[in-house]
Amino acid sequence: MSFLSVQNHRPFHISDIPVISVSEFENSIRQSLQAGFRLISLFALNPEKSEKTVLVVLSNPLTSSISLTATQFSKDDHRFNSFASDFPQTNYFECELAEENLIIPNGHPWLRPVRKQSTVLGDQPYSLYQMEGEEVHEVAVGPIHAGVIEPGHFRFQCHGELVYHLEIVLGYQKRGIENLLLSANSRQQTILCESIAGDTTIGHSMAHVLGIEALAHTNVSLKTQVLRSIAEELERVAMHLAGLGGIANDIGYAIGASSYGRLRTLVINGLALFCGSRFGKGFLVPGGLQFDPDEEAIEKLKSNLTTVLNDVSAINLVLFDSTSVLARLDHTGTVTREWASEIGMVGPAARASGIDLDTRSQFPYGAYRYFPIPLITLGTGDVFARTRIRALEIEDSIRFIFEQLDNLPAGTTQTKVHDLQPDSGVISVVEGWRGEIVHSLFTGSDGKLTRYKIKDPSFHNWYGLALALRNEAISDFPLCNKSFDLSYAGHDL
Amino acid sequence: MFESIRLRILQGDPIVHDVHNPGLPPLFRGMPQIQPEKCPHGCTICVDLCPTNAISLNPLKIDLGTCVFCPVCEQNCPEQVIHFTNEHHITCSSREQLVVSGTEHRITPEIASEKIRSYFGKSLKLRQISSGGCNACELELNALSNVNFDMGRFGIEFVASPRHADGIVITGPMTATMAEATQMCFDAVPDPKIVILFGACGISGGIFKDSPELNREFLEQHPVDLFIPGCPPHPLTFITGLLDWLDKK
Repeated sequence: MSFLSVQNHRPFHISDIPVISVSEFENSIRQSLQAGFRLISLFALNPEKSEKTVLVVLSNPLTSSISLTATQFSKDDHRFNSFASDFPQTNYFECELAEENLIIPNGHPWLRPVRKQSTVLGDQPYSLYQMEGEEVHEVAVGPIHAGVIEPGHFRFQCHGELVYHLEIVLGYQKRGIENLLLSANSRQQTILCESIAGDTTIGHSMAHVLGIEALAHTNVSLKTQVLRSIAEELERVAMHLAGLGGIANDIGYAIGASSYGRLRTLVINGLALFCGSRFGKGFLVPGGLQFDPDEEAIEKLKSNLTTVLNDVSAINLVLFDSTSVLARLDHTGTVTREWASEIGMVGPAARASGIDLDTRSQFPYGAYRYFPIPLITLGTGDVFARTRIRALEIEDSIRFIFEQLDNLPAGTTQTKVHDLQPDSGVISVVEGWRGEIVHSLFTGSDGKLTRYKIKDPSFHNWYGLALALRNEAISDFPLCNKSFDLSYAGHDL
Repeated sequence: MFESIRLRILQGDPIVHDVHNPGLPPLFRGMPQIQPEKCPHGCTICVDLCPTNAISLNPLKIDLGTCVFCPVCEQNCPEQVIHFTNEHHITCSSREQLVVSGTEHRITPEIASEKIRSYFGKSLKLRQISSGGCNACELELNALSNVNFDMGRFGIEFVASPRHADGIVITGPMTATMAEATQMCFDAVPDPKIVILFGACGISGGIFKDSPELNREFLEQHPVDLFIPGCPPHPLTFITGLLDWLDKK
């Protein structure tokens, strides 16, 4: 097997990536996937050219290693043998490669549009999956949904209440961020990354600034690293609270819904004390932080978090002790460990299905290298587990924040960023609140970015939601959907 | 039951009673104060640095409809010409009003017409459309219904069906893939109806304004009643903007 082994957030020369024949490429990937590697990115390095170089990024959480290899497709032959039948985790990546670059995975079981909605492989029409038979009916929802949420289209094939199949059609949010990033200047890039998914502002900007700093050989202070992690955990707590509130709301548990909502306000207002934005916009910049929180802000945040920790335990106690709540959450929307691992699920949803996967402990970065955070898993993979894990993560994150705030290192929060190293690349993996975020950055001979590939955790997990709905009542869709809490904008880019 | 009562007691009184003077955090960025007379001759630092080209010179002006409140201009100005205050009253009823200069304290929209106020003054139902919104604006609009902001107390609410709505609120830079759905949703709202743009992306495209994936034709065909700037705007900018527009105290 010929791979370039790299570390998270460590730059490498593009010329060091082995470029092997298509058949060798297929064999190497197949063997790695067999050996337990996960596919975390698959894309063309030079999408504008007719002879495309395709790069695969594989990660092994057990050995904390990232492996890269590439192959070149000739002008006339844009085909390789699909892995998707044996390794379903590659399915969606192959669809994306086909959609963006017309590189065709031979023998792919079901080539679907990723962001183009109604066409595959250029302009071939694609029809949504449809079941036929007596009493079988179809339910179409979206792109505009009942609530104040992002757009996406859901197509259910049902028999009575029972869902046989759910097909999820996305792409309504497509803004073309990956291309915009290449023509943007450094400040614009940071803001674009903050807007990949506004609910994951810190997560995506963390992946971005760590990538840029790696390429620029810039080391930031320990204080910067700690404050960034505090921001990331605040975002996690805030969005987990939002998710718990949504779940409480969907099962009609009103006092829970309003309480979680109130506590989320305390957390995001705390983030605003640090940087002025309730989402952390403008906080992280390459080279450090745009704001250095003062003592007053830190004390106020601590007082907010004390309330959150106290009240959230009180609400959780009632929520997870109530039979009528548990009756709705238990055994609903189950994704087994096998399924979750096969389709490459990530984040709390994967951990709820019993998969040990958390970038913070397996590919530690920034402050997590010095101050580890526990990896929690549960086993049942149902709505209950996905709810419970978020409640547990809230407590751990708040404890982490308190520890860091009490021992905040002294130092600067701004470091000068050098020029980006030319002809290089970096793989930047961080753990957003939804799970693994991967940014792959590459520079040209002038040190400017030539390729920027983004993988949001939702890219894996939307398929998990579709599986969770199999043989479930369609009336449980909102609850299952909320338990995954996925991003449309992050998927569509 | 006792546990539920205990949770209710824990809630205390979380509501923002005075939406006009909520005491936002000092770093919150709202209405900018600009003192162009302090600009050094020939200095273009802020214009060069602004990520969305929201700043123009002679005299120095900021277009709040494009501004993402990042605030690189304030941080890099050698003479502290620009300062973002935490004043959240920045909702406008015309696009021109969003281009600000000088040290006005706040902006208020022009009061809506008699007809609009008689129709919607006591009850206003809105349908939100996300068209490429990153979910920050969507979350802030959702927050309007929580126990802190509780917009329902003013008779303003979001509804599921456009047929039950009196107007639409658009978030996001307006993607081409959402153009048809946006038009259909708007058509389904009964007359008279209003259009509100929430956030820099909706108003101007924001950081995405040069993206080839957008289709903003809808805005060329339909007049906009309210512009709510920010990235994302604060929920209270939305509430106070609507209250001022509807002339409600």
